[in-house]
Amino acid sequence: MSDAVLDKQVKKPKTRKSKIDPEIGVELSWKTLKTQKQLIFMSVPIALYLIIFNYVPIWGWLMAFQNYRPAVSFGQQEWVGLQQFKFLFSDDTFLLVLRNTIAMSFINLVLGTVTAIGLALLLNEIKLKFFKRAVQSISYLPHFLSMVIAAGIVSTSLSIDGGIVNVVLMKLHLIQEPIMWLSEGKYFWGIIGASNVWKEVGWGTIIYLAAITSIDPSLYEAASIDGAKRFQKMRYITLPGIKATFVILLIMNIGHILDAGFELQYLLGNGLTVDYSQTIDIFVVKYGLAMGNYSLATAAGIFKTIVSVILVLIANNVAKRLGEERLL
Amino acid sequence: MKAVTKGSGRIEPVVFHTFNTIFMLFVVTVTLYPFLQTLAVSFNDGSDTLAGGIYLWPREWTLENYRAVFISGTIYHAAFISVSRTIISTVFGVFLTTMLAYALAQPQYIFRKKIGLLFILTMYFNAGLIPNYFLIKNMGLLHNFMVYILPSLVSAFNLIIMRTYIRGLPFSLTESAKIDGAGEFRIFWKIIFPLCTPVLATVALFIAVGSWNSWFDTFLYASSDIKLSTLQYEMMKMLGSIMSANNDPSMLAGGQNNQVQSLVTPASMRSAITIVTAVPILFVYPFLQKYFVVGLNLGSVKE
Amino acid sequence: MHKTAKRSAKAAAAGVLALTLALTGCGSGNNTNTGGKNSATGGNASPAAAGDDTAPVTFSIFMNGPGQQPTPDNKILKQIKDKTGISFNMEFLVGDLQQKLGVMIAGGDYPDILSGDDKLINAKAYIPLEDLIEKYAPNLKKHYGDVWNQIKDESDGHIYVLPSYGVYQGKITEPTYQGPGFWLQKGVLEEMGYPTPKTLDEYFDIIAKYKEKHPEMIGFESLNFDWRVFPLQNPPEHLSGHPNDGAVVVDNNVAQIFADKDMSKTYYKKLNDINAQGLMDKEAFVQNYDQYLAKVASGKVIGMFDQHWNFQDGEKSLISQGKLENTYIGFPLLYPGAEEWYRDRGAVGTNRGFGISINAKDPVRIIKFWDKMITEDWQKTLQWGVKGEDYEVNADGSFYRTPEQRNNAEQTSWQVANKISGMFGYMPKIQGTYSDGNAADAGTQPQEFFDSLKPYDQKILKAYNKKSWSEFFKEPKENNIYFPAYSIVLKDGSPAQLAQSKLNDLMIKYLPKAIMASPAEFEGVWQDYVDRIHKLDIKAYEDRMNEGIQQRIEKWSVK
Repeated sequence: MSDAVLDKQVKKPKTRKSKIDPEIGVELSWKTLKTQKQLIFMSVPIALYLIIFNYVPIWGWLMAFQNYRPAVSFGQQEWVGLQQFKFLFSDDTFLLVLRNTIAMSFINLVLGTVTAIGLALLLNEIKLKFFKRAVQSISYLPHFLSMVIAAGIVSTSLSIDGGIVNVVLMKLHLIQEPIMWLSEGKYFWGIIGASNVWKEVGWGTIIYLAAITSIDPSLYEAASIDGAKRFQKMRYITLPGIKATFVILLIMNIGHILDAGFELQYLLGNGLTVDYSQTIDIFVVKYGLAMGNYSLATAAGIFKTIVSVILVLIANNVAKRLGEERLL
Repeated sequence: MKAVTKGSGRIEPVVFHTFNTIFMLFVVTVTLYPFLQTLAVSFNDGSDTLAGGIYLWPREWTLENYRAVFISGTIYHAAFISVSRTIISTVFGVFLTTMLAYALAQPQYIFRKKIGLLFILTMYFNAGLIPNYFLIKNMGLLHNFMVYILPSLVSAFNLIIMRTYIRGLPFSLTESAKIDGAGEFRIFWKIIFPLCTPVLATVALFIAVGSWNSWFDTFLYASSDIKLSTLQYEMMKMLGSIMSANNDPSMLAGGQNNQVQSLVTPASMRSAITIVTAVPILFVYPFLQKYFVVGLNLGSVKE
Repeated sequence: MHKTAKRSAKAAAAGVLALTLALTGCGSGNNTNTGGKNSATGGNASPAAAGDDTAPVTFSIFMNGPGQQPTPDNKILKQIKDKTGISFNMEFLVGDLQQKLGVMIAGGDYPDILSGDDKLINAKAYIPLEDLIEKYAPNLKKHYGDVWNQIKDESDGHIYVLPSYGVYQGKITEPTYQGPGFWLQKGVLEEMGYPTPKTLDEYFDIIAKYKEKHPEMIGFESLNFDWRVFPLQNPPEHLSGHPNDGAVVVDNNVAQIFADKDMSKTYYKKLNDINAQGLMDKEAFVQNYDQYLAKVASGKVIGMFDQHWNFQDGEKSLISQGKLENTYIGFPLLYPGAEEWYRDRGAVGTNRGFGISINAKDPVRIIKFWDKMITEDWQKTLQWGVKGEDYEVNADGSFYRTPEQRNNAEQTSWQVANKISGMFGYMPKIQGTYSDGNAADAGTQPQEFFDSLKPYDQKILKAYNKKSWSEFFKEPKENNIYFPAYSIVLKDGSPAQLAQSKLNDLMIKYLPKAIMASPAEFEGVWQDYVDRIHKLDIKAYEDRMNEGIQQRIEKWSVK
């Protein structure tokens, strides 16, 4: 099975695989440990460091079952069982914020991935080196703007009073009169999606551009000799070449489906769109942190983790069945 | 790939490149504009900015916004700390991430799945503010420069990206070295590491930007020690003070007018701050771009 | 190619390693400096014995709001250090307060001095101050004499925090009015023949008439953004003759919410009509704060309800553009039969100020320091500055500033080197007038106000036969003993707090909806809104407010 991890586009000798097949051949024995001692030395210390910084504090999850007050020592906290979870799930807005969160993450995931790959492919076609680098360097500028500035620019662009979006649409006669984009819930997810594309597309492209560099140039040469055209080369060489990266990123991001963020939604949302703009994170800030309820925030975190891990495992399994690159 | 129709071959590139260039110019316009506007606002008088209409060029030139940013003597030291943490994090982070990714990319390595899983899970949980604080405190990292380096040394995301890339490298490359009896570390350092430049550059960029932009660790773990303050944190501090200057109702109760009147408005300050903090890190990418060259390394190895 | 790459990588690594070591050393060195150096000198400072101790000491301070960090060579800080030996390691809040407090309390890592906060009081982070004041701080004792009971914590009767605002002496002067009102542009008033609107109808009449002649103007503006929701939420309580008690009105010492009452419905119905007439800004409830200010600063907004400080930045922009006719005058509109209560006397800001933490090195030294700072000489230095540099004195002894000094005071770069406004905001202070008759600070000095008045403003004031902007409002009545109700503490996570938060959510969502609805739909939206409010545990909230009010009446009535 594990040969799926080896990228298919590059021919490789099969000898290694037949000698040592991890699923069957290698067992945990002193002999194995000894032959692999260099690999162990290269990885286990870092893994231990990881356990300290990431897994030791996990005792904090117990707070989700308490009414945690920071002023009291941990042993004397009040235990409340599942009360925090009950509060979370029984709130009548919870389903709404869950829906909004998933909708916006889904839009972000699809739009973000498609545009990043698209831009990477097109950038790759630019022959002029200087122009290519300039576009690359400029397109990732918005990533460095704070959300406050970004949201300011978005809402100014969408204003009915001379906002660029309305002006352009009017000029093109697509609309009769300016639309108040931010006043209607039905536009909100789209606005968030588009804003995120604008802000992050250049940044998202970097990783695919790096992946493209790993493609053996001789493949293109060979294809050119065969007379393959531009789009055929993209379709049959470039895209397969970055497929592994794409699949891995997709699986990882599926796990973040409940992380739609909150800053942009908070800054662009208002009373009229609140039914579409509230996300889980906003909910947790409002009823958790703002009220000093650390336990609620922890409970929400646990909920998110469980959902994430389940989704990642499913996605990983699907990838495995399809014979694609996978996370685990 | 085989079926090729000839004839249109000469027109197509011209059409494509024209459209592609136009599209790229559109991308450049849309992504450059906010930055230019921010730049213009940062050089424009704060009160004047409020009236709107600043797009690409300042209307009332002033350096007051920048003067306000640079007035506190602390930001030079803070910039030094920021640069230091960024360089150190990047160098160690890239090296360790690559080394670990190499080990986890070896199909015969016995712990590769276990360690991989350990890392991947970290992407999806967070122990929470207070437990993390206790960890940092108990490790003696409060008010310690190493708090900027250690907790975020190797990120799962970068590790996976790196592992995917290494798995994609042709195995023939390491095969002969193995036969010659070279150890794993030697293969990693001599053969794999130099081959990874594009992804090294990517991961380096991610780590550098992350480290440069982060302020939360300063906020939680080093805030009371001015000598450990970072540029981002100092900037947030200044922005906060400008924003609070006119907006604290308690100070205005009973007509008391003690609030700080200021010529610098939050919007103008924010713009100046964005420029000051973003410009240094923006130079990292163009510098790294030379490593994003298709097939450079693969080609050189094969010869 | 490989060779060079490798060598440079190694060199870089070596350099980085050296840098790491250097910085680690510097970091851990710092770590000890806050505690170590000070505790040595702190030990010397034997309480009370040696009178005025001026051995050098550094106190660490955490302030729960953002603020201006003074430069290390700040003029005032230098003076304090020279005369008292005390310097400060100030930390202003950056980022989210709740997160900061969470880790601070959990870790018990308090600095010497903490700004007042209910969470910190609950966590027992402060030491009681009343004995210290009695023993070492006669000036503070005198300063807080009249409000001694009010500054005690509600839960256990100790004084943990010295309130920084709301303790007055002498005369209260208030030339510029910062509070709530219905505002109109001066130019509008001028063109309409200097009317004085008293009711909503009269007010919107003026707007309608003016807008008819100037259709490009925005009629009535509002704001419903983030925490700045009071322009939308507060008008009903003022119109009905109540002071600003937050989300409740208090009649005969009984508090109740007003969001669902007729006094609210009348107002929002009026706005609904206004909107139907096209007088309401269509974007009012969509815009953020910056856009709101931009509209004010554009000079296009005829009027709005707001508290003055909230749109002051916009007005400042108008002044710097020379558009004085677009700046505003506020009017206290009322429902028929209501008695005006727009202006209020600032109440003592209980638990808002500085307290001394349980980790403090030398509480006696700190309390003595504040005691010294509350003397008039120091207050003048802290509020006005240094005589001859920051302000001048007339032949008759009254303080004034030259135009240059006034200009200086507006420069951020000057402020950080010459004022300590950030920290002073939290310190005990004199408000009103000094014993020599000068106002506590330049902003409240009447002469200062007149000197800064432009001819256009003088003309307007003359037309209305007034001397200052605050004269458009009645002198504030004596505060109710419990005032303001909004400072009553709601326990974290309590049903009362939850109800308040949910009520606020409903207002944010439904009020714009009701106003923007077509007049025929208004009733339906309003009913829906009221129904939803009644589903909340409003009783828990009102009960807690009333409990707080009763406690205050009981404890604070005793002087």
